[in-house]
Amino acid sequence: MRILLIEDDPVLGDGLAAGLRQSGFAVDWLKDGESALAALQSERFDLAVLDLGLPRLSGMEVLKRLRARGDATPVLILTARDATNDKIAGLDGGADDYLVKPVDLDELAARIRALLRRSSGRAEPVLRHGAVTLDPAGHWVELDGARIELSAREFAVLHALLANAGRVMTRAQLEQSIYGWSEEPDSNALEVHIHHLRRKFGADFIKTLRGVGYTIPKA
Amino acid sequence: MSVVRWFSLRRRLLALLLGGVAACWLVALAWTSVDVHHEVDELFDAQLAQSAQVLLALGGHEPDDDDLQEMEGALEHHQRALMFQVWDQHGRLVLRSANAPQTPLTETDGFSESLGPGGHWRYFSHWSRHRHDRVRVVVAENHEVREELIGDIVIRMLVPALAGLLLLGAWIWIATRRSLAPLDAVAHQVGDRAPERLHALAPGTAPEEVRPLIEALNDLFRRVDHALENERRFTADAAHELRTPLAALSAQAQVAIRARDDSERRHALDLLSTGMARTARLVDQLLTLARLEPDSDARPTATVRLDTLAQEVCASHGAQALAKEISLELEASPAPVAGDAELLRILLRNLIDNALRYTPAGGRVLVTIAGEPGRPVLTVTDDGPGIPAAERERVFDRFARLAGQDIEGSGLGLSIVRRIAERHGARIELREGDGGRGLAAVVSF
Repeated sequence: MRILLIEDDPVLGDGLAAGLRQSGFAVDWLKDGESALAALQSERFDLAVLDLGLPRLSGMEVLKRLRARGDATPVLILTARDATNDKIAGLDGGADDYLVKPVDLDELAARIRALLRRSSGRAEPVLRHGAVTLDPAGHWVELDGARIELSAREFAVLHALLANAGRVMTRAQLEQSIYGWSEEPDSNALEVHIHHLRRKFGADFIKTLRGVGYTIPKA
Repeated sequence: MSVVRWFSLRRRLLALLLGGVAACWLVALAWTSVDVHHEVDELFDAQLAQSAQVLLALGGHEPDDDDLQEMEGALEHHQRALMFQVWDQHGRLVLRSANAPQTPLTETDGFSESLGPGGHWRYFSHWSRHRHDRVRVVVAENHEVREELIGDIVIRMLVPALAGLLLLGAWIWIATRRSLAPLDAVAHQVGDRAPERLHALAPGTAPEEVRPLIEALNDLFRRVDHALENERRFTADAAHELRTPLAALSAQAQVAIRARDDSERRHALDLLSTGMARTARLVDQLLTLARLEPDSDARPTATVRLDTLAQEVCASHGAQALAKEISLELEASPAPVAGDAELLRILLRNLIDNALRYTPAGGRVLVTIAGEPGRPVLTVTDDGPGIPAAERERVFDRFARLAGQDIEGSGLGLSIVRRIAERHGARIELREGDGGRGLAAVVSF
């Protein structure tokens, strides 16, 4: 799952990005409102973590413009402003959740997972697909009730495919959901991850659409 | 128990007015009683002289019983108060009233006074020719009669005066109460309000004398309100500004705990330590600012050598400058200035620290102290990125930070510098550095 972190404080931004990566998210980190808005327009993110006090363009303004142009990307506001009025303005302005700094990284990750669940129309915290069960919070996968060991990248690819089951994920989309901008993917790393996943879940589990991408058909 | 505690305008007005009136009346009374005394004396003396004439007319000879009876009858109502003697030229007592002694009442001619039987007496003695004889008539009158009469008159004057004084007192009491009612109203208005309600008092129908008080109170309320508002804003700002660094510390600590390898942990711990230093500095700055916050009018008066202070501060930043290969230079002439050394050191530290942090490696920071004696001008020039003209006023605001900067800062430094400058009656201004590059902070004392 690919997350855009917008936070101008260097130490906090670094900590949040590292913490979210530890929780299994692909994180891109921007430090001002203008570039965040541009990034949200040009690329697809599963969720944005937005600070309000940003240079150039305030967080509220970013949110307003985002919603005005019909972008429904889930937005979690993470800010130092704790006034009730700010919370109301944030949530009514189109935010999906509002957290006041300082925040526990585990809670932040849990809230992000909850928002991602809602945005994909699921209520259940775990993804089920036939005999396969994936728990994004616990970071585990089971096949017929047996744990399957996966690397972090393999897990991210499987997570992205299962969350979008029935839809075709392009190669670029899949890469984005496992690598942040700072991480340069190996040219055929994605194929390697898919290959490993097929070995563990069966050759037919993931379908290839030549030249387009990959999909896990609806169960 | 102090005098102040019992001081009451109403009581004081009552005492002053009533005392004044009473004193006037007493003076008038004393004056009148002296006058009355004089008049009564004249009247009674005339009467005494007349009594002697009457005696002469009646007697002066061996009186028969009828004569005596007639005389005693005529003088009856003065029985105790009047005596008389008639002496012939040979010194024989010819006639006397029943209460008069055998011995001469007085040897003095005309009016005289002395102690006699039953009190103080006034005498009138007169030689007169009666038929062929010369006789001496002495009439005496008890002084008490006059005193009684004068006393009567004075008391008759005093009673209405006292009654008038009482009435006047009541009137003054009521009048002062009514006149001072607006003061009570103001006291009520002030007394009833909650501490945080600092809106202005309505002057209403307050009289001219109370208006300055109301205006002064309103002015005080305004200033207190301003100070409170400042305080509130400061606290809110401080809480807000502390959250981000604290969140950063908490995030990095958690990342370090959950790190899967040493380099990840190492990175998080490095940033944790950076964040700690930053937070400590922020708290430090906040405390400095909070101490400077009250609008104190107290101007520091000690004489401080600004150049010496600058030297000290530059020296303590030497290592920092060397580490970044910045050339830190000081050009100062002796500059005594009235001020607080500790505060001026903070001012210098903030300006020099800012300059060093924003100047890229290999740059130059120049500190100069010039200007007329007693009115030095301190300039700290760097060749960093500078501040756009439009932003130069804003950076003095608390927690103001410029966009797109990766350099650590609390956003409080210039705010503190300005406060300290204001305390010293100095003006601070930001300009372009030399050759249109960098920034020059100019403090003119």
